[in-house]
Amino acid sequence: MSFVYAYQPLLDLLLINAGFALSQYVVLRAGVFSIATPGIVAIGAYTAAIMMARHGISIWGAAAAATAAGLIVGYALSIPLARLRGPYQAIATLAFVQFVIAFAFYAEPLTGGAPGIDNIPKQVSTLGLLCCVAATVYVLSSINQTRLGRIFDALRQDEAVAASLGISIWFHHALAFALSGAIGGLFGALQAGYVYAIEPQQYGFAMLTTTLAAVILGGRRSVWGPIAGAAIMTTLPELGRSLADNRLLVNGLLLTLIIIFLPRGLVDGLLFMRDRRNDRAARDQASLKIQKTAQP
Amino acid sequence: MLAQQLFNGLVVGAVYALFALGFNLVFGVHKIMNLAHGAVFMIGAFAGLFTVNAGLPLWAALIFATVCSGLLAVVTELLVFRPLRSTTEAEFAFLIGSIGVDMILVNIALRVSDARTLRFPFGIVPVEPLVLFGLRITPLQLIIVGAVVFCAAALAWYLHRTSYGRQVRAVSNNERAAILLGVEPRSVYFQTFFISGALAGIAGVLIGLAFNSISFTMGEPYMLRGFVILILGGLGSLVGAVTAGLALGMVQTVAAVYLPVGLSDLIVYSLLFLVLLVRPNGFFGDPVADARVARR
Repeated sequence: MSFVYAYQPLLDLLLINAGFALSQYVVLRAGVFSIATPGIVAIGAYTAAIMMARHGISIWGAAAAATAAGLIVGYALSIPLARLRGPYQAIATLAFVQFVIAFAFYAEPLTGGAPGIDNIPKQVSTLGLLCCVAATVYVLSSINQTRLGRIFDALRQDEAVAASLGISIWFHHALAFALSGAIGGLFGALQAGYVYAIEPQQYGFAMLTTTLAAVILGGRRSVWGPIAGAAIMTTLPELGRSLADNRLLVNGLLLTLIIIFLPRGLVDGLLFMRDRRNDRAARDQASLKIQKTAQP
Repeated sequence: MLAQQLFNGLVVGAVYALFALGFNLVFGVHKIMNLAHGAVFMIGAFAGLFTVNAGLPLWAALIFATVCSGLLAVVTELLVFRPLRSTTEAEFAFLIGSIGVDMILVNIALRVSDARTLRFPFGIVPVEPLVLFGLRITPLQLIIVGAVVFCAAALAWYLHRTSYGRQVRAVSNNERAAILLGVEPRSVYFQTFFISGALAGIAGVLIGLAFNSISFTMGEPYMLRGFVILILGGLGSLVGAVTAGLALGMVQTVAAVYLPVGLSDLIVYSLLFLVLLVRPNGFFGDPVADARVARR
């Protein structure tokens, strides 16, 4: 039992990071290169923090409001962004993230400015985080089993082909944006209810790169990819002092090596290798059978 | 007073332009968005500082920083971008790979500088200002403007008056056609990355001198400004990069004086978002490039 207690903060951090990574994963899976997750997380966290710290609303109400806020902002972002593609979508969403941070710094009466909001009552437990991650994974993996999951796959692999098959690009991208926004808002609220204090700086470039890195590391197809990626990114620096001191170096090396040598990510890469091995085994067996029947 | 601020802004903007020229060159010619450009810029500033601390004069520092950063960019190209070029989702992979390189370089600088902010020794540039038409012009500002004008002119001459520059422009138009006409693409990649890194290195030393502070985090804000300039000026447009860089420098400097703190960032990022939606190829961009930027 003491083992669990000693590593509980690490587990909590892992679960929160996994939630952010899932939000980033939803858009990347659908072939949208949006990196708006930190901005939406910030909106969710601030919404929840203001409600909890200033108006005494419980985490239930705050989380629901933050999820709704994330959903609306995600959907609203999808309308102008439908026009752009690839790296331009990335730049536009980066501008959005920077805008949110600049706003949090500037609108001091509302957001508390640079020091942020503190004295947020802690209302989120490990169990609560676990339930939220499990529920999100359940919803996303169910989506993957349906027609919608296939549509997202098709959109990511080739938009022109998807459109020629009668899939509405605009509608499904908006759906992915809204879903990603809702997840981001929810986990922003959970983070605000867990860490006592939030400040604008924590939603900057560093969060963007770690969240993106978690998804790339784990993989963009299976829902377990972002979870595995977040687990690696969170626990690796804790393994040793020299690793913690060179956290960026380790993460950067991992990211570069993975994108060069295993571009599908760890989970999807391993799944792909397994499938290919099964295929080859099946083919070998089939050819063996043919040889046998051919011999008199 | 306003004229003085505008002039100060022009000097800062000149350095922005230098930074953005390299970023835009690589993006315009190879469609590679090099997110490690900010880190290369930061390493250039460190290289300049170490040269000065070793007792060498300023011009030696500028040359050493240029060569260091140029070679660093070339090494990035060889080790990261070259293997990624043949992959299916190359645009995406370039972004991720360069984020990884950025993390590695920032970590190295963090360890080397021990997370401190370093300064150039006092008196390396004379401080008595000249007074010209009522403007106070410091010798440092003269050095900055001189270096920027020299670099921009040299780049323009290189691209438009030499055979190497013709090859670079040919690759930027159509890489496959250029190869058919006997252009060796690897040598073009080598040239563009070296020039891009070299310009970033000079910009790093100049910014380090102008604000007299060099730290491992200095790359990130310039990277963000690089995006703003890239979008405002139009992709691959070098005239656009210079104009947008100068404009951004002046707007920021004047806004810092006349607007409340934090508002100028808000304005800059919302402007970036709007320009992306209304004129995604920027104010100086090639109209044909539209197809690469936006849907439909």
